[in-house]
Amino acid sequence: MSTELTATLLELNHVHLSHGSVREASQVPKPFTLCLSAGERLAILGPSGAGKTTLLRLMALDSNPAKGEVQFKGRAGPSWSLVELSQQRAVMPQNCQVAFGLEVKLVIALGRVARRRDPFVSEIVLHAARLARAEHLLARRCDTLSGGEYARVHLARVFAQLWDVREGLILVDEPFAALDLGLQEHILQALDAFATERQHAVVAVLHDVNHALRAFDRLVLIKESQLFADVASNQQAVPVIEALYGLALECLQATDNAFVVSPVSRRCPPA
Amino acid sequence: MSIVRAVLRAQPSWWLGVSLLMMLALAVQVGAVPVHTSDWLAMPKLFEWSAVGDSIQTLSAGSHVLFNLRLPRLLLSVLVGASLGLSGALTQSLFRNPLAEPGLLGVSAGAACAAALTIVMLGDLAAAIHPQARAWLLPLAAFIGALVVCFSLENMARRIAPGSIAALLLTGIAMNALAGAVIGLCTYLADDDQLRSLSFWTLGSLAGARWLWVGLFAGVLATGYCRLTRSMQTLNALALGEAAARHIGVDVHGLRKQIIVWVALLAGLAVAFCGMISFVGLIAPHLVRLWVGPDQRQVLPLATLLGGLLLLVADTLARTVAVPAEIPVGIFTALVGGPFFFLLVRQARGQTA
Repeated sequence: MSTELTATLLELNHVHLSHGSVREASQVPKPFTLCLSAGERLAILGPSGAGKTTLLRLMALDSNPAKGEVQFKGRAGPSWSLVELSQQRAVMPQNCQVAFGLEVKLVIALGRVARRRDPFVSEIVLHAARLARAEHLLARRCDTLSGGEYARVHLARVFAQLWDVREGLILVDEPFAALDLGLQEHILQALDAFATERQHAVVAVLHDVNHALRAFDRLVLIKESQLFADVASNQQAVPVIEALYGLALECLQATDNAFVVSPVSRRCPPA
Repeated sequence: MSIVRAVLRAQPSWWLGVSLLMMLALAVQVGAVPVHTSDWLAMPKLFEWSAVGDSIQTLSAGSHVLFNLRLPRLLLSVLVGASLGLSGALTQSLFRNPLAEPGLLGVSAGAACAAALTIVMLGDLAAAIHPQARAWLLPLAAFIGALVVCFSLENMARRIAPGSIAALLLTGIAMNALAGAVIGLCTYLADDDQLRSLSFWTLGSLAGARWLWVGLFAGVLATGYCRLTRSMQTLNALALGEAAARHIGVDVHGLRKQIIVWVALLAGLAVAFCGMISFVGLIAPHLVRLWVGPDQRQVLPLATLLGGLLLLVADTLARTVAVPAEIPVGIFTALVGGPFFFLLVRQARGQTA
């Protein structure tokens, strides 16, 4: 079991996060190396425009790095075909409108569109929808959904895509951007349960530091297209996060193990 | 009412197929020349005649009209309508937009423009070309015109503003204007004979139908339909957008290219043989989507059937309402289709956006 857990799933070797625009030689971001093990939970944090989404796209094998190479499951990125890749990694988009108002059931089933023979697709769609709490939406048209319902439908589609796979990779781009607190919890829990059961690794771009600290094993901090830090997600990470955002944070102890951080307000210092 | 609706929902393809056959049976009977049962009995003679290569006199006037004019025309109208319906549905799924149509995007105009250029520029040269080759020159030119417009449309719309509907439609408008200008220039330069063939292209008519065209069209449509229906679920995936479609394993670039070639082939051939026939490609998929919902696996076959039915009805009306004269069917579809489309948009305001 432990060997499986430490097996490298994704490996970024000396990659650059370039935005495509040509910079001066001194400003070329330093290359960095990043490894992701199967079943690991990794959160990407950083200020806006730091290159979080660029990093996520590299990890999703959407694009090839300008320099360096990406290896997924021991194979180089370009050697994966779209169909093979779709059966090992899934991406949950930040906000993805579905044209024509397709039925939710159909959209979830689209997660499995690349499989040639797929006899259990209707059961899988049903289970995936149940896990994502989108079961009541199955017969609805996508153009009648609210933002939160959309997020659940796309989550169910991601579940359906990796339903019968083990040790896959799920990438999520700011999943909680427009969701209320209750829904954030639901989605986080559903994602966690799904990934734990199948030992999928989860990589998420996040804004909320508390989500990252609570639900993820490891934090990758990105600043100005460079790796700022790669730390375990615990109380020791807080000073690094402070340095990343240039912000003073205070730790509030919630229960014995759990804590939340909050920016220190200058006007009204804590009593 | 609800029973009617339930029956309609049960088997749309069955309903459409039966109405198409009924309409064919009706359309064969009506026209400037009445057709009698005895005319049908001349069918065996037809094969004899073609085998021997004898003159046309062995056929009665009625059977001549039936076998050499009316039947090919009816079948061609069904096939052209079906191609327009299919290419309309494909364009809409490619551009993720229910307003896209080969006509609106300038594909038909591009084909007509290439045909007009061929008619006028090659006017003198045409005499030097073998007559058999000349018959294929125009369809080929129209197809190339459609292909050029399709590829430039796709490239430009993506380069200006990726995913933007406005950029796409504006590019389409520009294409239409450009093609219109070139057609206008050709009209200005053309002599009387060329002018007559030019007005045929811009107005759209099925009057010149021939069995050879019917065969060719049936072949192309059948091939395209078989190729495309294999990937109908991946067409649904396009509705998620390019990035998400790639993530679930759909080769978006390959699919795009395939769709563009087939749209150009279908719409281009339709224009090549029958001139510009508007609105069928827009209305057929629209009606189908209102009827059975937006699942491409249903929209594609049904839009094909409905397109055939619509153009058959339009052409039958076009050649019968003003007997013995006939209205060019392109004018007719635009006259009827325009206001009808307004109604559709008003009714489905909430759903189609």
